[in-house]
Amino acid sequence: MYRLFVLRENKSGCGGGHALISLCTLLLCSGIGALAQSTAPALHANAPFSIRATHVLGLPNTKTNCNGTLSTQDNVLRFQQSGKPVAQVDIASVRDVFLGEESMQVGGLPMKIGKAAAPYGGGRVVSLFAHKKYDTLTLEYVDSNGGVHGAIFQLKEGQGELVRNELVARGVSSSSGEDQPTRPSTAEVTRENK
Amino acid sequence: MRTSRRRLWIIRIAAIVAIAVPGQVLSQTAAVRTSAKSGGSVTHWSVQVDRVEPGDRDIPHAFQVAIYENLVQELNKTKQFTQVLRERDRKASEVPNLLILKTTVVKYAPGSETRRAVTTVSGATKLMVRTQLLTRDGEIVLDRTVNGNVRFFGSNLRATHNLARNIAKAIKQSNLTMVRASYRDTQPPTVNADGTQ
Repeated sequence: MYRLFVLRENKSGCGGGHALISLCTLLLCSGIGALAQSTAPALHANAPFSIRATHVLGLPNTKTNCNGTLSTQDNVLRFQQSGKPVAQVDIASVRDVFLGEESMQVGGLPMKIGKAAAPYGGGRVVSLFAHKKYDTLTLEYVDSNGGVHGAIFQLKEGQGELVRNELVARGVSSSSGEDQPTRPSTAEVTRENK
Repeated sequence: MRTSRRRLWIIRIAAIVAIAVPGQVLSQTAAVRTSAKSGGSVTHWSVQVDRVEPGDRDIPHAFQVAIYENLVQELNKTKQFTQVLRERDRKASEVPNLLILKTTVVKYAPGSETRRAVTTVSGATKLMVRTQLLTRDGEIVLDRTVNGNVRFFGSNLRATHNLARNIAKAIKQSNLTMVRASYRDTQPPTVNADGTQ
């Protein structure tokens, strides 16, 4: 009897704790909401934005498959390689943004040579695990003569969405910039993971 | 002494003639060739590359853009055309002898770089496109089906580079003026870049 009573007392004590935890959760949630609200206008306020990316092809006077920093500032999309001149595209000239997904082998040429040199097909086993998913960001823009250009960037998984949102916030049309056409490759990646 | 001097002179003159005459003949033939070229017998074409049409295939936008960009690059490399213009370029209206290059995806098989690296035999990325060169009037000058694959090494997008190179090669191999003249009688054949039917 006494024991049961003690237990009940403990439960009532826990009820107070629960209330405290729920209050904290409520405060935390409202804090996150406030943070989200405060970051939203920052996008519209033309704040500088930069991210590491690989230029696959398309930008004028820029090497293909080179790493650099993709940034937006003053309504200009810039790609800067270390120690090289900046390639830039006016954001107003960007007509469409498309996001895709690609799975690629990591390590580049040294890794390839190492895998080829590994005995008993060891390189193939390494290949099985040495792949990584990337986001591909495809831009369509027009030059001063109205000619259509395309540029492709490769970003870390999840970062493509950030760049697209940034561009959309700066007025780029995203009506046709959906991921639908990349589905086959995504499906293919999931098959591969199985 | 006198005879040896004469012989020496004769040999000198013969040597000068032997060197000078063939050079003159060569320069004359070259001049004839250049005059034939500049005489208007060869039409200097410019080309406008249109964006790739996906047809009824679900091809990623990155592939369409990569084919388009690689095509512009490869056609510039061939030096077959006076100017290589992009779609909607305003300069196109002023350019005489303009051809329009239209590319439609016929077949697309998405591959996997990992599968290629692991198995070697599977995971190839395959692209097949129908490429047409048209005049401003819509007359077809060239109609080919071209393949571009990546089977062993390289990323999936490398297939677009191979495809563009094959298209440029196919255009280079076909004598455009001859093709245009023969089109009035017969439809141009549909063949692969490697020459097979």
